[in-house]
Amino acid sequence: MSFLQPWLLLGLPLIALPLVIHLINQRRHRSVPWGAMLFLLSAKRMNQGMARLRYFLIMLMRMLAIAALVFALSRPLASGGWGGLGMTKPDATLILLDRSASMETQDLQTGESKRSTALRKLAQLLDNRRDGGRLVLIDSVGGEPQAVESPRALPDLPFTAATATSANLPAMIERALAYLDANDAGRADLWICSDLGANDWDAESGRWSAIRDRLVGMKGVRVFLLSYPALAVDNVAVRVANVRRRQRGDEAELLLDVSLTATGVNSQAEVVPRQVPLEFEVDEVRSVMEMDLDAREALLQGHRIPIGTGLRAGWGSVSVPGDSNLQDNRFYFVFSEPPARRAVVVAEDPRAGEAFRLALSIPTEPGLQHSTGVLPPSRAGEIDWEHTGLLVWQASLPDGLVADQIGQFVEDGRLVLFFPPGQADGNGAEMFGSRWGNWQPVRTEPARVSWWRGDADLLAHVGSGEALPLDELNTYRLCALESRGTVLARYEDEHPLLVRVPTTRGGAYFCTTLPTAQFSSLERDAVVFYALLQRALAEGSRSLAAASQRDASTDALADHEPWELVAPTEDGPSVSEWGLRAGVYRSGDYWAAVNRGAAEDEAGVTPSGTVEGLFAGVTFQRIDDAVGSVSPLAREIWRAFLVAMMLALILEAALCLPGRRVEARRFSDFAPVGGAVRDSR
Amino acid sequence: MVSGPASPQHRFIDPKVLARLSGLGLHARMPMIGNVSGHHRSPIRGSSLEFAEYRKYVPGDDTRRLDWRAWGRSNRYYMKEFEADTNLRLCLIVDTSGSLNFAAGGVSKLELSRSLAGTLAYLASRQGDAVGLYGAGTKFHTAISPKRNAAHLRVVLDHLAAMKAGGETGLAECLHEAAENISQRALVVVLSDLFLEPATLKDCFQHLRFRKHDVAVLHLLDQSEIDFDFDRPTRFVDLEGGAPIMTDPVLMGRQYRQAITDYLAALGTVMREAAVDYHRVNLRDPVEPVLARFLIGRKPKRRA
Repeated sequence: MSFLQPWLLLGLPLIALPLVIHLINQRRHRSVPWGAMLFLLSAKRMNQGMARLRYFLIMLMRMLAIAALVFALSRPLASGGWGGLGMTKPDATLILLDRSASMETQDLQTGESKRSTALRKLAQLLDNRRDGGRLVLIDSVGGEPQAVESPRALPDLPFTAATATSANLPAMIERALAYLDANDAGRADLWICSDLGANDWDAESGRWSAIRDRLVGMKGVRVFLLSYPALAVDNVAVRVANVRRRQRGDEAELLLDVSLTATGVNSQAEVVPRQVPLEFEVDEVRSVMEMDLDAREALLQGHRIPIGTGLRAGWGSVSVPGDSNLQDNRFYFVFSEPPARRAVVVAEDPRAGEAFRLALSIPTEPGLQHSTGVLPPSRAGEIDWEHTGLLVWQASLPDGLVADQIGQFVEDGRLVLFFPPGQADGNGAEMFGSRWGNWQPVRTEPARVSWWRGDADLLAHVGSGEALPLDELNTYRLCALESRGTVLARYEDEHPLLVRVPTTRGGAYFCTTLPTAQFSSLERDAVVFYALLQRALAEGSRSLAAASQRDASTDALADHEPWELVAPTEDGPSVSEWGLRAGVYRSGDYWAAVNRGAAEDEAGVTPSGTVEGLFAGVTFQRIDDAVGSVSPLAREIWRAFLVAMMLALILEAALCLPGRRVEARRFSDFAPVGGAVRDSR
Repeated sequence: MVSGPASPQHRFIDPKVLARLSGLGLHARMPMIGNVSGHHRSPIRGSSLEFAEYRKYVPGDDTRRLDWRAWGRSNRYYMKEFEADTNLRLCLIVDTSGSLNFAAGGVSKLELSRSLAGTLAYLASRQGDAVGLYGAGTKFHTAISPKRNAAHLRVVLDHLAAMKAGGETGLAECLHEAAENISQRALVVVLSDLFLEPATLKDCFQHLRFRKHDVAVLHLLDQSEIDFDFDRPTRFVDLEGGAPIMTDPVLMGRQYRQAITDYLAALGTVMREAAVDYHRVNLRDPVEPVLARFLIGRKPKRRA
């Protein structure tokens, strides 16, 4: 509870007034000569129990009445079950605002979103409190602390507007703690406004323990969580998982994989089967189709939309009817002609190089252009890094300039596949935290692959669901590998076949054998070898396309410039919001569609217990609010105190009422009571 | 014509009251044993005009009292007996403990006791009864045995006028002492506020009744002692010298009234059981109606 006129609380000592008056009255006594002391003593004995309690209650009621009056005059603020504001004023108030797409879930009646509700209430609360110290905003998009002049300005600031981004709560809190450290803030309040989205909070992250430790160590820092965990009911999110432009002869078409997600349901039992109308818009041509949604997710694969052959690149969108979250009702996509798939093979073994070239030169689809160049390691400097999608490196790991170029190559979103050199001795260079060891002796019995990851990545099952025949692969020689990467396939003796090293973009893979016959049956069996290389080439070439789908973020449009906004043309994002809100952008011949991240559709909510655990040991209070709720976080409750005062006074009056009067005999009733006297002689 | 007390020190007796009460007379509720002939019945047969009973003749009886008419009708000898009228021994026991200094309306309980006792003494003496006076402090400080001459009345009234209240009450012990020391049947009138436990008083009055005394009590109380109407903290100073009590009457009033009501109820029971002629006297009441009520209540009922 906080107070608008806290200085009036100085009047609280007035609570003792009834006691003082009582004591003064005791001193103002008069003396009365009295003979009937017998009854006074008797009354005093009787007065020990209930009467004394009654007297104490009377005093208590009087003191309560004064206390209630003082509190009422101090204009107390209260929120539902939230006494955490307390009397102490913070030196700084930090608002950590989750601006993720899921925060735009709105109340259909008021039109207010979770974000705007939180901002309105927080502004109202902080405005009422007045003395909350410095007011600093850290939003999930920018992440930088921004000083805010007045709480009233919060809802209208550009840093608090809606976005299609995702949030990173641990990073925001870390930033807030860094700010507090840097500014030596002392007492500070951290207000986190979030919908507890599981992807935004990432409760499994190891960063939380460090955050908790720092919060526990910072005395005077209180964390308030204003949460909106309720899921949107009947909300459907639309997403285009994949878009391809295909041209056959003089006919061109787009192939779309569209998914629908009912975000407001947690289980299949809650799903209400229905048909959702999808509206496609491509090149200003609209088409509508009905899509069945009888599970939490529904997928429409390969939906064809004919386009003109002259439309080699462009954009489109898929929409569902308006519901409680406007951010996920429309998904933009862009398309272009598939880029030429260029691969470079750097091989010290010409036979291996030829095997790679053959596998990479055969197009997977008609119309795709493949080109593969083979170079010896000494000519690695000739690689056209700009137009290459895949690099196959079968030689000792490079160092120096070439190593740096390969690192940048991967950073740009391309792929590199490393194969062991013919003479590996364990003393070579290291790349991506990995190093080749020694070749193992030739095996008499070929090694067999016992496990591989079939759900994703280069060795995933084919579109029909069948697994790649890795179990038929025979391997005769393996090279040892020291790596911290993720194993995608391994042999029965736990030796890895294929390892992926984690990178922010692109990909770096290490294969521990060579395709030629003396090493393995990769080249001979061909299927696995071909799928592996073609998938790597397709993935690496994706970034070479003239159109790309991107998740909304501050650096979504950082790689090209200048950009121009193509869509939406009405109520589109301002320049400062480009890349943060969904839309289509164009930079010359390059197209980019920005949408919310896939995780925003998953609608997972961090459980209450988990959130409590994240802040265990921290001065933490949580209030669950509802979107569109009009009840303020803190409201003046002086009326309640006035009512309490009146109740106390009424109770006091009732206690002071004389009880049933004990009627003594009146003298008018005087009559001799003496009994008859026996007339004895 | 009735003449009042002439001495100025006997002003507590109002001649007008005496004049109005003189027609009522002081009666005993039970037979008295006096020394001389008087207005009161005696347990001994005598020679008054009031027929008492017949009894059989036994040799030695005075033949002058034989009822010859009865002999004529029944041929048997019957003695005709008559009531003996005797005088009354009035013993006035005045409580002089400190609590009798309690005053209301300008009159203290002792002054009222003085008026009541003096008037009764005067009335008794005037009809030829013997009057005695006992002053009960912590013990009897005044003990004047009943006598019936006029000079004695003056002595009684002088002592009454000189009485002062003070100290703790010793009424219970005094009443027991009176029961033992008053040798013959007497009318014992106790004037007191009776601030003692009813159980204690019960023993005292039963003792007096056991000694065949006719006991009357004039219980002096003020309405303020019953109502206990005080509205602010008050220091009650014990008139009998005990420790004062500082209290808020608002908080204790109910308990006080409960206590005194219980006390009065218990006292009434004690008085009934001991056949005491009990009269509660308001301190603010004038003497005349109080005594009129007392005297009328004691008047013997006419026999059918």
